[in-house]
Amino acid sequence: MAKPLIEIDRAGKSFDGGRSFAVRDVSIAVEAGAFIALVGTSGSGKTTTLKFVNRLIEPDTGEVRIDGVSVATVAAPKLRRKIGYVFQGIGLFPHLSVAENIAVTPQLLGWSRADIAARVAELLDLVGLPQSYATRMPDALSGGQAQRVAVARAIAARPRIMLMDEPFGALDPVTRDALGGAYRDLHRRLALSTIMVTHDVQEAVLLADRIVVMSGGQVLAQDTPRALMANSASPEVAALMAMPRRQAERIRTILDGA
Amino acid sequence: MDERILAALRLLPDYLGRHVLLSAAALALGCALALPLAIVAARRPAIRWPALAAASFVQTIPGLALLALFYPLLLGLSAFSTRILGVSVPALGFLPSLLALTLYSMLPILRNAVAGLTGVDAAVLEAADAVGMTARQRLLRVEAPLAAPVVMAGIRTAAVWTIGAATLSTAVGQTSLGNYIFTGLQTENWIFVLFGCAAAAAVALAADQLLGLIEVGARRRDAGRIGIGALGIALGVAAAFVPLASLGSAAYLVGAKNFSEQFILAELISDRLQATGATVERKEGLGSAVAFRALASSDIDVYVDYSGTLWANVLGRTDTPENAAMLAELSRELRARHGVVLLGALGFENAYALAMRRDRAMALGIASIADLSRRAGELTFGADLEFLSRPEWTSLRDAYGLKFKTQRSFTPTFMYRAVDSGEADVITAFSSDGRIAAQDLVVLPDPMHALPAYDAVLLISPRRATDATLTRALMPLVDKISVEHMREANYMIDRDTDKATPRDAARFLGRASGL
Repeated sequence: MAKPLIEIDRAGKSFDGGRSFAVRDVSIAVEAGAFIALVGTSGSGKTTTLKFVNRLIEPDTGEVRIDGVSVATVAAPKLRRKIGYVFQGIGLFPHLSVAENIAVTPQLLGWSRADIAARVAELLDLVGLPQSYATRMPDALSGGQAQRVAVARAIAARPRIMLMDEPFGALDPVTRDALGGAYRDLHRRLALSTIMVTHDVQEAVLLADRIVVMSGGQVLAQDTPRALMANSASPEVAALMAMPRRQAERIRTILDGA
Repeated sequence: MDERILAALRLLPDYLGRHVLLSAAALALGCALALPLAIVAARRPAIRWPALAAASFVQTIPGLALLALFYPLLLGLSAFSTRILGVSVPALGFLPSLLALTLYSMLPILRNAVAGLTGVDAAVLEAADAVGMTARQRLLRVEAPLAAPVVMAGIRTAAVWTIGAATLSTAVGQTSLGNYIFTGLQTENWIFVLFGCAAAAAVALAADQLLGLIEVGARRRDAGRIGIGALGIALGVAAAFVPLASLGSAAYLVGAKNFSEQFILAELISDRLQATGATVERKEGLGSAVAFRALASSDIDVYVDYSGTLWANVLGRTDTPENAAMLAELSRELRARHGVVLLGALGFENAYALAMRRDRAMALGIASIADLSRRAGELTFGADLEFLSRPEWTSLRDAYGLKFKTQRSFTPTFMYRAVDSGEADVITAFSSDGRIAAQDLVVLPDPMHALPAYDAVLLISPRRATDATLTRALMPLVDKISVEHMREANYMIDRDTDKATPRDAARFLGRASGL
C-alpha cells in the first residue's frame, strides 16, 4: 500500500498543563484522495485533532507528517498556504470584496495579477456563483453564498489537502445538503484529500469514504460508513452510527401511518 | 474696523501658524507613541491595563499644570545634559508644550486603537491565520484596516483636545492662539479673548472635519474621501510653516511676565531692537519665577524684572536696604551666581503697596500699614495670585502683625475690581498702576520699611551678556521712564473703555519718555 499523504501519529494535547488531555494518542492516516469524516460529540477532541494538521493548534505529544515530513519543521504560514481550511465561522474578510477574498492566498504566494484574475473567475464557476458576485462585499451575501466563497478561497491556491471544521453547520438544511453534495463533487474533480469535522453522523455517512469516531479525546473506531453501520464492537459507536437509520425508520413510520 | 480687531488680525498668521504646528507635531508624536503601544496592549492584557490606566491618569492632570510640570523637569534635564554632554535642552517654549500635549493626546488614541484591534471578529482572525498570513501581514492587511475607523475616531478626539489645550502653552513661553486669551484676560481686552477662542475653535473644527472625512473614508473604504482629508491636513500644516519662514530665525527673545506693564515694556524693547534691524520673538505671559530662570538658562534674552522681587526670590534676602545699595548688590550677585547682567534701572518703581479705597480708609481711620494692623481682624485682604506665597508677604505680616479676617487671591484685573466693589478692603496694588489714581485709592505708607524697593531693571541673559547690539539698543531706556508715564501707559490698557493695545501704549511711552 502507498504511504499515506497525512499521518497523525500518536498526537496529544492538554489545555491545562497536563492535568487532563483534550486529545490523547490519536493516530489517523489519510491516503491521497480520501474523504475522512471525524465525528463525535462536543468536546470529543475532533476539532483539536483537525487543527494539528495546519498547526492552528500545536500538539504537546506526537506529531503530524505530510508526505513523511513533520509539519513542525515547516513555517506555519508557509504550511497553511498549501492547505485549504473552511470552518463554521466562515471568516470572510469584511473589508475585501468576494474576488479579493478569494485572491488572498494566491496573493500571499506572489501570483501574477493576470493569473489571479483568471483563477477567481474559474473558482466562481466552480463553486456555482455568478461572475457578477466578484465585486460584492461579504455583508451582501447569504450564509450559503458566503460559505461558497469561503470554499473558493480555501481551494484558490490549488491545495491538495482540505480541512473542514463543521463547514455547513450554520446553514439551513436545504442549503447544507446542496453545499455538501457540491463539495463532494469538487473533492472528486480536484482530487483533493479532505478531513471534515462534523457532529452530524448523517452528513458523515453521505459524504465520507471513511469515518473516524472520537470520544473523550480518543479514537473509538474508524472504518467505512457501511462497515461502521453494519456492526460495531463498541455500544457507543453502534448507538452513534445507528442514528441515521433510526431517523429514517421514524420518518417511514410517520409516512406509512399517513 | 475696531483697532483691537486689526491688532488681533496682524498677529494671526504668527499665532495661528505656531498653534497649528505645535498641535500637529503633538498629535503626530502622540500617534507614533500610542499606536505601537496599542498594538502591544491589544495582544497582552497584562500590558493593556497599566497602559490605559497611565494614559487616563495623565488625562486627569489639568492641562496647565501638566505644561507647567514639564518646565522644571526639562530645566533639570538641561542642567544634567549640559554637565554631561555640553548640550543644553530648551526648557521653555516648544519642547515642554510638545511633550505635555503629546501625553495629553495619547489616551483617546490608545483607548480607541485597543478597542478597534480587540474588536476584530475572532472568525476573521482565524481565517487570516488559516490562509497563511504571517503576524505582520495579518496586522497590516486585516486588523489595521478593520480597526481604522475606530482608530481614526480616537485620533479625531485627540486632535480636538490637543488644539484646545495648545492655547495653554502660552504660559510656558510657546506662542499660540492662547496668547490672545492670556494677554486679553490680563488687559481685559475681551475682543482678544474672544478672537483667540474663536480662532482655536475654528482650527479644531477644521481638523475635526478633515479627520472625519478620513474616518468616513476608512469606514466606507473610499480612497477619495481619505485622500481629500489627508490632503487638507497636509495643506493646513504646510501653510502653517509660511509665517514662520517669513520670520526667519528670531535673533532676540524678549520675555514678559503676565501683566500689562510687562507687555508694554516687552513691546518697547522689541521696537528698540527691531529698529537696529534685528529680528525679535516674544515670550509673553511667563510666571514670575519662570521668567528669571528662563533668562538665567538663556531661554529668553532680555526682560524687565523688579529689584525687590529678585532680592527676595532669587537671592533669598529678607532685609530691605535702600534702592541704590540694593541695586548695586543685586547687580553683583546676579552676575556672580547666574551670569545675568543687570543693565540698569528704567527709572520707576513698581512696588507692592497696600492700597484701600480713600473713603473706606478715612472711615476706618487708617493712614498707614501700622494703623491697619489694629483693624485687620475686620477686613478682607485681596492679593494678586502670587503675593501670599512670596517672602515679602511673610516680612510684611510679621513686621506689622497683620491678621486679616479673610484673605483672597485674584488676577490683578479682578483684584482692582474687588477693592472697588468692596469685596476686598485692602489690596496689594502696584505703585506704577494707573488704576490707583483712576479708582481714587490711597497707598498706605510702610513706616517700618518691611517691603523692599521695586525698581524696574533690565536683565540680560548670560548668552547675550556681551552682545553690543542689545546693549546699544537698550541702554537709552535706562533712567528714562518716569513712574507717571508708566502709570499713564498702563492705564491706557487697564481702563475699562477705549482700551489701547500694548503696542500703542508702548509707542506712547517711548514718545513720552523722549526716545
